[in-house]
Amino acid sequence: MNISEKTINNYKVLSLRGMLNASSAPALKTCVAGFPDEQSIVIDLENVDFLDSSGLGALVGIARKKKASKAIMKLARMNERVKKVFEITQAHTLFDIYDDVSAAADA
Amino acid sequence: MKTLIVIREQEYAWLRDMLPGVHPLLVPVCNKPFIEFFIDFSIFTGSKAIRIISDGLLGEVERYCENGSRWGVEISYGSMQPADELPTVIDKNRRFCLEERVLIIKGFLFIHYDKKRDYTTLFASLPSGELLSCCHGSITLTGTVKPESSSADIPFSLTALDTVGKYYSLCMEILRSELTNYVIPGYSSEADCYIGRNVVIPKSAEIKKPVIIGNNVQLLANTVIDTNSVIGNNVIVDRESIISGSIVMDNTYIGEHLEVKNKIAAGNLLIDPESGTSIVMEDPHLLTGMTQSRAAGTLLRRMVHALAATFMILVLLWPYLLLRPVLGLQGKWKRVRETYYNDLPGKTVTLTKTTIDSDEPLGQLAKTLSLDRFTLLFRVLSGKLALIGYHPVPINPALRIIPNNTTGYTPAVFSYAEAEDWPEIGIDTEIVEHYYAVHGNPLKDIAMTQKALFNRNH
Repeated sequence: MNISEKTINNYKVLSLRGMLNASSAPALKTCVAGFPDEQSIVIDLENVDFLDSSGLGALVGIARKKKASKAIMKLARMNERVKKVFEITQAHTLFDIYDDVSAAADA
Repeated sequence: MKTLIVIREQEYAWLRDMLPGVHPLLVPVCNKPFIEFFIDFSIFTGSKAIRIISDGLLGEVERYCENGSRWGVEISYGSMQPADELPTVIDKNRRFCLEERVLIIKGFLFIHYDKKRDYTTLFASLPSGELLSCCHGSITLTGTVKPESSSADIPFSLTALDTVGKYYSLCMEILRSELTNYVIPGYSSEADCYIGRNVVIPKSAEIKKPVIIGNNVQLLANTVIDTNSVIGNNVIVDRESIISGSIVMDNTYIGEHLEVKNKIAAGNLLIDPESGTSIVMEDPHLLTGMTQSRAAGTLLRRMVHALAATFMILVLLWPYLLLRPVLGLQGKWKRVRETYYNDLPGKTVTLTKTTIDSDEPLGQLAKTLSLDRFTLLFRVLSGKLALIGYHPVPINPALRIIPNNTTGYTPAVFSYAEAEDWPEIGIDTEIVEHYYAVHGNPLKDIAMTQKALFNRNH
């Protein structure tokens, strides 16, 4: 999985490309751990081909840590495959989900 | 023009209690799923795309409406947080709302419209802003356009739906005076009478208008469907029964020699719309629900679980017989009986949960072998539990959401969360359980059981 990073307003925007699964989830966690705890982030999921329970676990874990640090984590541009997993697992109730990266970083 | 439909779960929670087996947005209003009225209205206003947003589950709605190709519109779905205000929801859907006029329908309300009117021209010329509102919602237009008409003569009205009484009144109102305003399912050879496909009506049956009868309905000899009645799909009305001013929901059997007057019958529930009280009919000869048999895939899964449970019983029997009495005498084997939700709506299962003090070697050994779950394995053989699935949810809605509203909930001896070593906090556990309930298969279940056996002790 590739992770590209940019900054919009005060948010670090991480664009993921590829599969977010057991083998790639640690890379995402490491990437996020490289930021200060109070750094708010937006994760762009448009190019995520596959998401499994480990990938979900990584996202939930990051969200919990950010919440504990009073930072914000948002998800943006979920494609249908990813949205389906969030829907069936009801994980969407945990996240602020935007259909546009700039809207997520603006709010 | 686009339409954004924003409905919060809290607004329709009352309907879940009344009709637990149906998603509230799919509850039929005069035999037409509620959400279809929104879709129709959006189409009449000239919308080419519709987005349905909720903080609750939309899976069932999505399976029903799909991508909207059936109606010639593009339907998409989105989520929101319960506390999100309308501007936040619009912001979260900025890409959808950009560059077009957007009709925003907010709340669980019914829009009284008339299909014979030209809403497309009207909505194209209406000024932006709130067009109509009621106590539980509103209709708003966004986007700029040169206003040509004022919002004073808007030819539709709203009814908030927040009680079973209002739901019943709405159905009756449509039946009595608004049937021609909407696209109602069924064949109508004469006014105020809609009849679906595959309806068996004997010569001795009597039907009085206005009436709506759904698909696959069987009326038996001498039945009377009196005025102002709505009979849903897959309904049987047995001999010499009278339905009058009532709504019979889908998949319901009405027994013989009964008179159902001014009521809502749904499965084995009989609801009085005036008081809101309901009676569960225990006698299936009077009133009962008709359910489909389990899918073959579920049966295969259960068989594999039963085989694996048998194997585990055989392996763990001797350790259990040896360790159980010793730990019991030491007071380290504690048991608590509790009632949990079952996988069928409204059903429960009572289980004895065991906890073992593992502060010394014998206790540790018993825990390592998962002997605390040994007796539960027999429940797998009887089909009451799965070998691996969801943590059984105690009957306490304050703890977690009612599992019957979710798909795939199956209480089990071991849980997917234990297998994946997810922390047991709130919704996190449910996330992984939902994931495997949908993505699992019998073989994967065996592998996950092995993982659970290993992980719960490490």
